[in-house]
Amino acid sequence: MSAAQLRGALARLRDIGRILRERRAADVHAALADVLDAWCAPASPWQSALADALPAVSGFSAEMVREGLARGLAPYTGSALHALVRDELGGPERQDATRGPRVTGFASAATVLAGAIPLPTFVAISAPLALRTPVLVKPSMHDPVSAALFARSLAARDPLLGACVEIASFDRDDAASLAALCEAECVVATGSDVAVAAIGRCFEASRAHSASAPRRFVGYGHRSSLAMLGLGATRGDALATTAAAIALDVALWDQLGCLSPLAVHVVGADRGAAGRVAEALADALAAAEERWPRGDIGPAVAAAIAHERAEAEMRDATVFASRGTEWSVVCEANAQRRSAPLHRFVRVQPSTSVEACLAALRPRGGQLAAVALAGFGAETAEIGAALAELGASRVCAPGALQSPPLGWPRDNLRVLLPLARFGEVECE
Amino acid sequence: MSADPGRASLDARALAWLRESPGSWRCDEARFAALALDLFSFQFEHCAPYRRFCERRGRTPERVAQWREIPAVPAGAFKEMALRSFPAEREAHLFRTSGTTSERRGALHLDTLELYEASLLASFMRGVLPDLAPGGRARIRVLTPSPREAPDSSLSHMFGVVLHKLGDAASGFDVQGGALQVDELVIALEKATADGVSVALCGTAFAFVHLLEAFAERDVRIPLPPGSRVMETGGFKGRAREMPRGALYLGIEHALAVAPERIVNQYGMTELGSQFYDSVLCDPSRARRKFAPPWTRVRLIDPETGEDARPGAPGIVTIIDLANTGSVLAIQTADLGRAIEDGFEVIGRELGAEARGCSIAADEMLAR
Repeated sequence: MSAAQLRGALARLRDIGRILRERRAADVHAALADVLDAWCAPASPWQSALADALPAVSGFSAEMVREGLARGLAPYTGSALHALVRDELGGPERQDATRGPRVTGFASAATVLAGAIPLPTFVAISAPLALRTPVLVKPSMHDPVSAALFARSLAARDPLLGACVEIASFDRDDAASLAALCEAECVVATGSDVAVAAIGRCFEASRAHSASAPRRFVGYGHRSSLAMLGLGATRGDALATTAAAIALDVALWDQLGCLSPLAVHVVGADRGAAGRVAEALADALAAAEERWPRGDIGPAVAAAIAHERAEAEMRDATVFASRGTEWSVVCEANAQRRSAPLHRFVRVQPSTSVEACLAALRPRGGQLAAVALAGFGAETAEIGAALAELGASRVCAPGALQSPPLGWPRDNLRVLLPLARFGEVECE
Repeated sequence: MSADPGRASLDARALAWLRESPGSWRCDEARFAALALDLFSFQFEHCAPYRRFCERRGRTPERVAQWREIPAVPAGAFKEMALRSFPAEREAHLFRTSGTTSERRGALHLDTLELYEASLLASFMRGVLPDLAPGGRARIRVLTPSPREAPDSSLSHMFGVVLHKLGDAASGFDVQGGALQVDELVIALEKATADGVSVALCGTAFAFVHLLEAFAERDVRIPLPPGSRVMETGGFKGRAREMPRGALYLGIEHALAVAPERIVNQYGMTELGSQFYDSVLCDPSRARRKFAPPWTRVRLIDPETGEDARPGAPGIVTIIDLANTGSVLAIQTADLGRAIEDGFEVIGRELGAEARGCSIAADEMLAR
């Protein structure tokens, strides 16, 4: 799409947005809720269509995509959307209010998506629409299908909502097109810190040309997740259960999402615990590979995995690994941060105490997305709070990482609030 | 040579090979295999971390019958531990890999520089100055700091040796205090042009980017005399700016009138005793490829199988270098390469290296 075409799309969206805002917010939410329900239903034809299309373009395996979509979309229900509107905006009536507290969106929004994991696409489109803000979506080169399919499902339920979403595909190096996209009143960018910062700069540059309209930039940068296990999760039946749950978290989306655990921190004074966890996790990842095979990787990724395995061997770490590069578990001697080749490569790292583990995590607290927590008994809530204080936007049980609620405050930001403008009409 | 009698004997055999005239290089499989296996036995015995690594893989000297079975150490291990096959107290020199202060840097520990210097000279002559008459000297300008300024840089050391052994009186370094000395370099190049003396201009790819920018700012072009050549090395990892190699070569051609076919890329690593040069000057009639000195072997390993990659398919560049007598002879690099005729090309880490995650940066995959 050229810069001129993008400007045309934004102009169309601003026009259609005026019509959308004439509708009651509750009606918009109801239509959106219906669409979300249509997607999250177990036999959803939309979900099935995406599961059929995504593997070919993303490189993910069909089995993994099907499982990932089923688990990831399950919490994205219509009722979850209504709850989100109530929690974050104070209810739909505030969007229609002519006096007192009122909330509104922007004339147009543009969202830049990254990666091949489709779930953020649903939130990226639904959130502005819930605020009656039409949205221009630039899909990732790795997933050109999810946004288009979701837009089609919106149009099938409500043509006006469908018309409020336009898909903009252009090369990521096309500076003119990016500049045109950044003329939207609200720009939301997801990606690496470098990419998000570049889009932010582009947005700031375009602000100079249209200073009169209210404008906002929202960036979601690099994050990663981990698991933290107390000794209670490292013995007996709990060990196998926990390992299977973490293997699921790792296997879904091939460990490429910000909610994918890169490391498992084993906390406690039992020197054999990390080894037990590593061995159990290796068994669980082998089983996961049978059910949800890892997707394609290029030779550079395979080389990085082979290199990391060899480096681990050199420093006497214990390596459990598949014959090829399908999965790897490295049992390290300490909690020192190490590189993450991803694609189902997990490090198991011991810490002698919760305090020591938190201290090791502190330098990367700002990049923490979620932590899967188990085996701490009565201490769980307290440790969860400490992790949230450190920067985690989500603390949950192993096995739940890839099924975040619709209201998950990704990057410690609420879902709707960053896209909303609040006002107070005090006069009668 | 090493003070250890066992090592001294191995060093002598290696040195004899390294000092043979580059013009007489030929592949001698039996000689390579014999020295490689003897060196492996020695290093297995004297380098404890390497011995443990080999034992874990079941590759002891008794079980390794061919040089292809010698386990290769990942280059990253040089950041984690001292891989030396001699007692620490005999350490005479230490080279460190490049990197920022916050990054752990790899280190090559040496008890002698003799092999290192013999190897670098032979390869440089073959790759960059194949037309230099025996005993002759060339005009060489170098865009790196001198060894005095960067004593732990193997690249600076290499150029120091090259200038000492092969440079004429007007040769020298053009980086001081971390800055390219553009004015001095311009004077030196203009003098060479006025004298009609061809120049070998050498440096890191990043230094050449600086040079091109400085020339562009000053609106300077210095067409170097016929016979001049450029040697560039290194990538842009950790640098704020990057330039594709094709664009760099075009820029060099524009600024210095050195055609791309006279620009030689060198592939080298601090951890290696030997370097690998493009064939464009020593074998200009055939495809550009990197050639391996006869005391080295380059294997391209399929990361999925651990075996040799199919012909033409990318593989991990793994090097067996008989000049590495003091550390470990077999090193698995972090780079991908592809075979070309009797040589290879390095294709870096690009293929498929981009993350597909929703917000995981590709560079994080490789960050330490």
